[in-house]
Amino acid sequence: MTFENLYKSFKYSLPLALVVMVIAGHGAMDPYLAYVATSWVIFGLLAMSLDLVWGRGGVLSLGQTAFYGLGGYFGAVVAVNMAPVTGNSLIWLLPAGALFGAIAAALVGYLIFYARTGPLQTTILTYTFTLVLWTLTQSFKLTVGDAVIGGDNGMSNIPGYILGFGEGAESADPNLMFLIVVVISALAYLGVVRFMDGSFGRIIDCIRLDEEKAELLGYDVRKFQLYNFLLAGGVAGLAGGLYAGWANYLNPSIFSVQEALLVPIYVLVGGRGTLSGAFVGALLIGGVSFWLGGGAIGGQTTLILGITLIILVMFLKKGLLGALDDLCQRFLPDYNAAARDMKPVEVDSAVVSKIMLDAEAVAGPAKSLQSRDLLKRFGGVVPVDHVSLSFGPGTPHSLIGPNGAGKSSYLKVCVGLYPQDGGQILLGDQDISSLPMYERVRAGIAVKNQKPQVFPELSVQENLWMAAYSMSREPEKAGEVSSAILHMLGMDKQREVSAAVLSHGQQQWLDIGMVLCLAPRVILFDEPAAGMTNEETRELSKLVRLLSQYVTIIVIEHDMEFVRTLDGAVTVLHQGRLFTQGSIAKLRNDERVLDIYLGRRAHVQNL
Amino acid sequence: MDYLFAVLLSSLSSASILLIATIGLAVVFGLMGVINLAHGEFIMFGAYAALTATQQGVPFILSIPIAVLLTMIFGALVEILIIRRLYGRMFDTMLATWGLSLALYQCAVIIFGTVSPGIGMPQMSIAIGEYSLAVYPLLMIVVAASMLIGVYYLLTKSVYGMKARAAIQVPHMARAIGINSSNTNTLTFAIGCGLAGFAGAVLLPIVPATPSMGFAFVIKSFLIVVVAGPVTLAGSALSAIGMGGGASVISSFMTSVAGDIFFFALTLLLLRFYPLGISSRWRFKL
Repeated sequence: MTFENLYKSFKYSLPLALVVMVIAGHGAMDPYLAYVATSWVIFGLLAMSLDLVWGRGGVLSLGQTAFYGLGGYFGAVVAVNMAPVTGNSLIWLLPAGALFGAIAAALVGYLIFYARTGPLQTTILTYTFTLVLWTLTQSFKLTVGDAVIGGDNGMSNIPGYILGFGEGAESADPNLMFLIVVVISALAYLGVVRFMDGSFGRIIDCIRLDEEKAELLGYDVRKFQLYNFLLAGGVAGLAGGLYAGWANYLNPSIFSVQEALLVPIYVLVGGRGTLSGAFVGALLIGGVSFWLGGGAIGGQTTLILGITLIILVMFLKKGLLGALDDLCQRFLPDYNAAARDMKPVEVDSAVVSKIMLDAEAVAGPAKSLQSRDLLKRFGGVVPVDHVSLSFGPGTPHSLIGPNGAGKSSYLKVCVGLYPQDGGQILLGDQDISSLPMYERVRAGIAVKNQKPQVFPELSVQENLWMAAYSMSREPEKAGEVSSAILHMLGMDKQREVSAAVLSHGQQQWLDIGMVLCLAPRVILFDEPAAGMTNEETRELSKLVRLLSQYVTIIVIEHDMEFVRTLDGAVTVLHQGRLFTQGSIAKLRNDERVLDIYLGRRAHVQNL
Repeated sequence: MDYLFAVLLSSLSSASILLIATIGLAVVFGLMGVINLAHGEFIMFGAYAALTATQQGVPFILSIPIAVLLTMIFGALVEILIIRRLYGRMFDTMLATWGLSLALYQCAVIIFGTVSPGIGMPQMSIAIGEYSLAVYPLLMIVVAASMLIGVYYLLTKSVYGMKARAAIQVPHMARAIGINSSNTNTLTFAIGCGLAGFAGAVLLPIVPATPSMGFAFVIKSFLIVVVAGPVTLAGSALSAIGMGGGASVISSFMTSVAGDIFFFALTLLLLRFYPLGISSRWRFKL
């Protein structure tokens, strides 16, 4: 077994080994230590829910303790009423807690993600949610059956962990409690890690890295963010249920700022984005404060924690596991070395034709793109001023015009990056004017923006796979499509290279490859040749001409030589309006076109 | 009729109090892109500074500038020691100021204890028909308006203000033409904190100083700034009057809980329609 395989198995094997050790050593711990340590594991589970949202999802939520507290309260209410009937309390406490945490997170997440609030606003809103709950619960009094929620006085008589069924079942002793919590947390951890290793986790990673690109690949970003938030809320609620049974008592301080503050500290200490780091952080901080005396309830804990958080943020960015990971990286083979002997891309028409025919079999025939009276305004600037154009397959279309002519804006309005202020966009016969971006992409329109957009932390192959998976939603099929495109780009040997180390031109090709993985029926390229060598530009021209036989393709380019080699229809935009159309040969003899490019006055004013 | 007028006046005064507490936060957010989660604790800092000064025999009116100055110095220190090192790392800045918020809270508990004596409100009132309103809270309307005007003039007419706006809009260009943007940012943060200190001091007769007073204030202030959006100053003024005043009117006719519910519901509604704040499409930029 190589070190590499071992390294990859760590996130499963090490926690499993720890759980086996805990089971083997069951009963040997000092009961008080076992009792206290149980809470550390629970906090670890809570912190893992934040790491899901923040480390993986890229959204800092300060509301995880809110879902934790709500899950705890709800689980407790159910358990107080039902546990006397069944004996076993865990079957009530945990599912009810997780369910309620997930529901609360879904509601909050829906408001945040479907309103598309910014990241900053999201953090503040989640923090406010916690503060509001803290305030409201102080005076919240409610009696549900045998359960009494007493505002400030809290809620007592919550049953402990009862495993047995029937009348005589008793609460677990501290050692057994520890074991129960370790096993449940380990199951939750392994389930979440396994889930996040799959396509869902990859999509969440892409959204964190580049939300816009993820949506340009046809993923409904809001939906995935909401599901991730919901999952994290469920984990937090599960932790809340465990906590309620552990403490036998809950009060509003579970929503307090002091409680909420601990969660990001655990995550930061352990290492953000690792999921297991949450537990490492919670155990470490719990352990240190336990052996230093005072426990988590010591006198000046708030002061120390506040300062700890400041120091962590400033000096320990990657956390303990992050630092260990850096160490391990040194012993792993360096895949990025292959980037150095990358050959220039050579477009093989047979390969491209095969890819395009396969795409056609899946996505249907080429579609036309039409804009009717399309309008986009930015304040007083009108980059797209009532433009009506129509593009079809068969010949490549070029969109040219001097800087500020509105070319890129036109493409962005077509794909939905900018909402239009008027007019219609038709893809084939379908009016896509009011569709969100990801649905336009799924309908068959794909765009490569001026700046290459690739996911830097992902490998070349993974980048292509993400695009292909968006269309097929089948891992094997996505693998086939992405391998074919990888081969077409001549990057077979570079499949494991991380996209971040590619040159600008190579990233352009990768981005073009990602667009092709989407099997689009209409392709929009914004300055694809930028950063490419002359040879590569020639190959690109060949590719565009080939593609135009199968799909509608529109290219924005400033490189007139490139436009000439395309030998297609050319549309000139000027000041947001259609200026003229024709072949490049005709336009080259058109004085007015030369005028707007060179800025000669006479004709410009007579527009 | 008199009743309605009295309610409107006192609601406007509540909205002004909210605005006074928010302006500092809005300035720092608008000019530095930094959300200072310790803003409430800077208000508390100002309140305790003014309280301590009056206990030493300084007249209340003079204790206000003392509080402002002390809070500004403290704010400048915080900027140099913490905020400056975290530029461009929005979430990290928030977490660090959050840690600071908790640390300051605990410091206040250690130094001043959990309860502290308030200072008496100037005993003056005016009569509107059969209703009598205390003058001091009404004075806050004037204070809030003058704060807004003062900050507006500071940012648009002073050299510092131009530098500050240049430094936030295009930081590298501002440096290239010789603006020391980190000094400007230190001053901006200090001014934001000074405004918080001013709020704590000037509101002292209405809101007594306690270690946890910051938490109570910031909830609504944060929401005001979030709802306000990119045009922080004018946006905050508008949302403070609309949301705070509205909530206050509701709570006069119903209960204070109803007022709070109105406030939060309105926040959610506004964010649903203006996810990046009500001012995200304004062309006016301050």
